[in-house]
Amino acid sequence: MTEDLTRQGRDWAFRFRAMAGPCEVLLDLEDRSQAQWLGELACNETLRIEKKFSRYNSEGMVWQINNSVGRAVAVDEETAGLLNLASEFHDLSGGRFDITSGILRRIWTFDGSDRVPSRNQAKALLGQVGWTKVKWDPPAIILPEGMEIDLGGLGKEYAVDRVAAVLAEITPASFLVNFGGDLRAVGARRDGRPWTVGIEMPDRPDSPDRQLQLKQGALATSGDANRFLLKNGVRYPHILNPRTGWPVLKAPRAVTVLADTCTEAGFLATMAMLSGGEAEEFLAHQGGKYWVIR
Amino acid sequence: MAATRKNLRKAVVAACSLVGLNGAAAEATEIGSAVLFYTEPDRVSAVEAVVAGTHAFSSGHSANFKLVFDALTGASANGATPASFTQTFTRPSGAGSYQTGPAGTPLDDTFRDTRTAISGGGTLALNRMTSWQGGAYVSTEHDYTSLGFNTSLVRDFHQRNTTVALRAAFFSDTISPEGGRPDPLASMAPVGAAQPRLQGDGNKDVMDLGLGVTRVLGRATVAHLNYTFSKVQGYQTDPYKLVSQVDPVTGDPDDYLFELRPTDRARHVLFGRVNHHLARDVVSMSYRFLTDDWGIQSHTVDLTYRWNLSGDKYLRPHLRWYRQGAADFYRRFLVTGEALPEAVSADYRLGDMTAWTVGLKHGRKVGGGHDLTVRLEYYLQTGDSQPEEAFGVLRDFDLFPDVSALIFQVGYSLDL
Repeated sequence: MTEDLTRQGRDWAFRFRAMAGPCEVLLDLEDRSQAQWLGELACNETLRIEKKFSRYNSEGMVWQINNSVGRAVAVDEETAGLLNLASEFHDLSGGRFDITSGILRRIWTFDGSDRVPSRNQAKALLGQVGWTKVKWDPPAIILPEGMEIDLGGLGKEYAVDRVAAVLAEITPASFLVNFGGDLRAVGARRDGRPWTVGIEMPDRPDSPDRQLQLKQGALATSGDANRFLLKNGVRYPHILNPRTGWPVLKAPRAVTVLADTCTEAGFLATMAMLSGGEAEEFLAHQGGKYWVIR
Repeated sequence: MAATRKNLRKAVVAACSLVGLNGAAAEATEIGSAVLFYTEPDRVSAVEAVVAGTHAFSSGHSANFKLVFDALTGASANGATPASFTQTFTRPSGAGSYQTGPAGTPLDDTFRDTRTAISGGGTLALNRMTSWQGGAYVSTEHDYTSLGFNTSLVRDFHQRNTTVALRAAFFSDTISPEGGRPDPLASMAPVGAAQPRLQGDGNKDVMDLGLGVTRVLGRATVAHLNYTFSKVQGYQTDPYKLVSQVDPVTGDPDDYLFELRPTDRARHVLFGRVNHHLARDVVSMSYRFLTDDWGIQSHTVDLTYRWNLSGDKYLRPHLRWYRQGAADFYRRFLVTGEALPEAVSADYRLGDMTAWTVGLKHGRKVGGGHDLTVRLEYYLQTGDSQPEEAFGVLRDFDLFPDVSALIFQVGYSLDL
């Protein structure tokens, strides 16, 4: 991992790689050593969250739960909080947001090819999908054998909000936490100007990105125009409905939502994707600003 | 799917805050401004500037403020009838006079005022389904001060498909007209002579109680029904308005009396609105019915069609029809020799009238997600120019001239 501190206008930019992508913290302050210190704190907090909730780290909570072979696992307060949040999101979404749906990736690899699995393959896996099959009695979780949880749908946004909380506690300076487009701005800048963030418009490569003036608040994007399958002229986007095991065919290519926290923005963006052809209608009913790319 | 139409934001914010995901209150301050120009040819012109802002906290609470400044200049009908000769009226201050030529509608050209109004309030999210709102209002003009408080309790039911709001508001107004309040029904004194006056300022209290229900009817339709009861007590007379006392044979004025309105008024207002989303556009229809114990009944029908040209541009044509029946004590004039009524006003705003408004509004998103709106409207008010009771020279005059107005407004991130 490489860390990098550079001067960018009146800000310091601290960059590192984590959560499978570029991470950046822009700090509106003068002092270089303070910027370095805050950047390292941000980086450490991000790596802590990544390790704790990664499916691949055998020391982490998610790994322990996924390898509990049906036995109860007692979780710590932070994990319990995230599981409560996932449970609440599951209910709010009518079962469409489901942290047990990651297992469907065994049959779905969105690599641009035409390898679409059969309906029977999807059905066979659905027995191992569904948050309602999990016994969650805080702080104890019993995950039926053969099932897995994956906090990937929450993790990056949660990390952005956590880093924002950690930094806000120790610095009065304004800053922008940006993990590959999932971002959050905190505090008023010294010159009173808002942070300028771009919203990518991949469907219109010629037009300039939209610029948003963000004083405080968060943006999150769901969707990736490059992850899909294409067979017989049908485009299968990578958004999967956990109740059918099948992609949401009319999902937009990407949805960006503005909200108070990155986690909230991320959930609403994901919900919009899961709403397929009704994404715009869903977002219109949420109020606030959003961008849909079809 | 049902979840598509539900607003999840509050619930999501609540869920996030349980995990400590709220941090510093997310500051999404939205400040907007608008400037409105209003002009009645040959009568009043007004300029109004508004700045308003809402600050939404991540907790679901919010605070808001609004600042309004307006300036009015021009002339307004003083209530007197036209005459076959030049009429001279003493200015409200008692110093100086103004004249109206033969057959002209007497207009008081001293109409000049500026008003500053400040209001602020907040909304507290009591829980996921209930919120409480409170606010205060103060406005001042050189002869008028208004102070008000309002509060409401809003609760969502049935997965937010139904919202019920209970509202209460209280206003206290003080009027201290230039030169003092003239004695009601006293004759207008000529310049230099003493005008009989009431002691002190005029005070008026207003209490509003309201109940509103908003309900989602199916996929694309939202209906809103609202009832408000208002009780007004105190000095409601317009100290600048006159009533002509005309000669029983010629119809020309013998005298001018200051008007007098009852001190009590109870008002009932029923308002209903339906918004219907078409595939791309939105139609909104509303109807308002007002009845009060002054004998006024009015009906307002309002239609707008929001034509979405694209995701960030729209045109909105607007049509409004208003019909009002006169107050019991409205009299275009009094006849010399008849007993004076208990209350009387010749203010055209209390008379029989019909008014139309046609307008067009354009809105678009500009840089940074802000909204720019431009609105142009034309207003035309008509009444009975020749009421049956007119006689003598009055039959030659327009006793209820049309009033027309042009309204132009530019708004930035503030949709009024």
